[in-house]
Amino acid sequence: MIFNTPIFFWFFCIFILFYGFAFLKQTPRLYLILISSLVFYGAWNYAFIPLLVGSGIADYYIAQAIDKSQSRQSKKRWLILSLVINLGILATFKYADFAIESVAQLLAVLGYQASFTTLSWVLPVGISFYTFQSLSYTIDVYRGDMKPRKGLLEFVAALSFFPQLVAGPILRAKHILPQMHAIALPKWNAVKHGFLLITVGLIKKTGADLLAIPVQAAFEAKEALSTLEMWTGVIAFAGQIYGDFSGYTDMAIGLALLLGFKIPLNFRVPYFALSPVDFWRRWHISLSSWLKDYLYISLGGNRNNHRTRNVFLTMLLGGLWHGAAWTFVAWGAFHGSIITATHYLANLKIFSRFNANNSFITKFVKWAITFYLILLGWVFFRATDINSAISIIGNLHAIGTSSVLGLHAWTIFIMTSVWVLLMHVMDYYVIKSADKLEGKTWLFWFLIILGQAICLFIGEPSNEFIYFQF
Amino acid sequence: MSSSTSNFNENKEQVMPDKYVFHKMMLAIVLGMIAAIGLVRVILDLNDANKQGIMGRVAEAQAALPRIIEEPNDLVMFYGSSMTGAGFSPRKFDRDLKAMGKNITSFNFGFGGLNPYFQDLLSRRIAEQFENKDRRLKLALIEFNPFQTTTTRWNRAKFTLDSFITMLASDEELWQITKQDLTRGIRLFNIKYLRNDISAEMVTSFYGREIFPPQRSRAFKDDEQTIADRQTYGKELNELFEKEYPDYEGEDWSYAWQGAGTIPEERSAHTLAVFDKYYAATQTDAQMKNDRLSRIRSADIEELHFEPLLVESFIGIVKNFQRFSDQVEVIMLPKNTRYIHYTPAAKIRLAQTIKQIEEATGIKIKDHQEIEEINPDMFRDTTHLSRYRGDIAYTDFLLKEYTQSLN
Repeated sequence: MIFNTPIFFWFFCIFILFYGFAFLKQTPRLYLILISSLVFYGAWNYAFIPLLVGSGIADYYIAQAIDKSQSRQSKKRWLILSLVINLGILATFKYADFAIESVAQLLAVLGYQASFTTLSWVLPVGISFYTFQSLSYTIDVYRGDMKPRKGLLEFVAALSFFPQLVAGPILRAKHILPQMHAIALPKWNAVKHGFLLITVGLIKKTGADLLAIPVQAAFEAKEALSTLEMWTGVIAFAGQIYGDFSGYTDMAIGLALLLGFKIPLNFRVPYFALSPVDFWRRWHISLSSWLKDYLYISLGGNRNNHRTRNVFLTMLLGGLWHGAAWTFVAWGAFHGSIITATHYLANLKIFSRFNANNSFITKFVKWAITFYLILLGWVFFRATDINSAISIIGNLHAIGTSSVLGLHAWTIFIMTSVWVLLMHVMDYYVIKSADKLEGKTWLFWFLIILGQAICLFIGEPSNEFIYFQF
Repeated sequence: MSSSTSNFNENKEQVMPDKYVFHKMMLAIVLGMIAAIGLVRVILDLNDANKQGIMGRVAEAQAALPRIIEEPNDLVMFYGSSMTGAGFSPRKFDRDLKAMGKNITSFNFGFGGLNPYFQDLLSRRIAEQFENKDRRLKLALIEFNPFQTTTTRWNRAKFTLDSFITMLASDEELWQITKQDLTRGIRLFNIKYLRNDISAEMVTSFYGREIFPPQRSRAFKDDEQTIADRQTYGKELNELFEKEYPDYEGEDWSYAWQGAGTIPEERSAHTLAVFDKYYAATQTDAQMKNDRLSRIRSADIEELHFEPLLVESFIGIVKNFQRFSDQVEVIMLPKNTRYIHYTPAAKIRLAQTIKQIEEATGIKIKDHQEIEEINPDMFRDTTHLSRYRGDIAYTDFLLKEYTQSLN
């Protein structure tokens, strides 16, 4: 089920009728959340419900076992079991074919013609999100950061909580489980904020679908395009993926607010970042903080002069998390490289004055360089293969090519750029206005309804959210 | 009940839970959606975005079916794409047959923008109406158009898919879809009953194409004079048409009741002379080459990678017509051999597809693609026959072919 579809609207209305009016006690509400979440997930494919529930049950009991274990050794063994289960599921469904194909390609390069059969299994929706979420629980218990929770129902309901199930944000157990333990009535002000987020998310998603048109034109062009058109395509993709993903999480956070749950922000105006490190503090925050806390720090973090290696490895695996393809590995490696380069340059004396300078011009230069690098990164992310990505990056820097569309090419470029900027302005406004909705006039809420109407009028609901595939 | 556990504001003051929060929420959802959907309907209506506005001639033809069924003469229907629309003249067909003593009323059901999937749905509606009135066609001519049946064509029509389904399918068919796929079914009913048959994709695609022009189809250019002539004569022809047919808009079904255009005998010598000039400025090599490129991009016209679903749909069309027709013929219309050349692989694929259709329907497809009665100068572009030249010549050919069977 996708949020911006009629079936989800009816599903949610029915859910709210029960949630708000029928089951007022804690336990029935938990059952309602769990069953509804499984219906929500099952609408895509019922066959994968056991996988979702099974991995949750396994981690719930593994966390109990970790807590009860007396020795460090024993705790470690239970944690390894959790890692094997979660990463095993991920590896089997998401990476097995990629590994098989890569081995076959490698052997072919070495001159051996081997025939392998790929699994060609369907990738369960949201698998990367819920396995990471579940895994964070056992790791937290292992590290002693939290005590295991009593209540399997709460745990599985939290893991499968439908607003965030299929595309995040990746919730931490310590954040969601206490809320699930004592479900609170939503406050009207939070509900209003929820409605605002849902509308903004819907607008961003609709805008992202519109941007898919120039993106497709640029990345799947059958004829040579001008430099301007290629830049338009790349900026449009930056807007598309941002609008699509942050739009989805806005809706997820908004829906959760309607139910009385608070989910942390997943994006903070990321294209306003002033450095690659800053970008990752603003983009898909729940994933980047997960990778930092559970991977980067586990690798040793900044200690032992291994920061470069650890950053690079973290980003490489972060890239691979997004998809089983070399383009995603390249994207991760690219970000690993630019973060490492940023760290290196920050330590150089000649840049110390530049880094310390907070003037508008310095900030603009920092922003421009960062945005340029992020755009180059998106080329790897979107291109069908590495060769195409390199070719597109070459085209982006080809000088003197003119568009047959003439002035219209500039119009499209400006419209695309303005829309990407507008999405950020909306984001900024929503973050700022979270607790200032009390005194908003009827005109404000009319504009919200108008925004919804525009999204209903246009938009391509048949386009799935890009991040579903991860 | 534990629901009051978190009812503290940021200053740690206890806040009474809002007992009516869900009432307010539901009210907001209901009122918000009514307002939003109401606004959508208003915008759609203001833009004439409805079945009549989008489907145009298809909707008119459907509406005219009761009148067609009541016709006293034997009926002939030519069913197909815009190539049929441009290539068959019912008025000439009937007039010439009458001169031979045969009372036949024929209809041109050639519609642009409908691929075989949509044509299949429409043919079911036609069959239902004929069967309900126990009426039969004397002869059904069905166009098999190879490039309408390609995967490229199918992919490019996807934005219209849901809208066209809701416009052409019955509620029973929508229920069948709902039983197989609840998400899709609810979406289709939503489009049909809440969105005036217009899906969001349809609107997006329309505006999207306006904002982001798709591919360049103007790789070849004519000289300025030719372009100017084209515009001048085109405009003059429109004015002449309105002058010679003042009551044209008054017909229930445009294209003067039977579908497809007028015949040369009805037009003045001056108009026919303007037509000659217009075609001289239109059928230029640059125009044709551009059109060929556009057909390659939009329909895979030279490679012909067939879409299995569309081939199955085409078989469905033939079977639907077999239900209420004495004779069904499947025809491939003439193609512009100067500009359209199938690759060797395309020829093999086409032969396989023809074989599949013939085996499924039991009807031998008549291949009129390269008949000698039609030459490349009789096309207004790379696929459509031109008015007063191509359509007349091809209608003559059909008369020669089928007069015998219309006894």
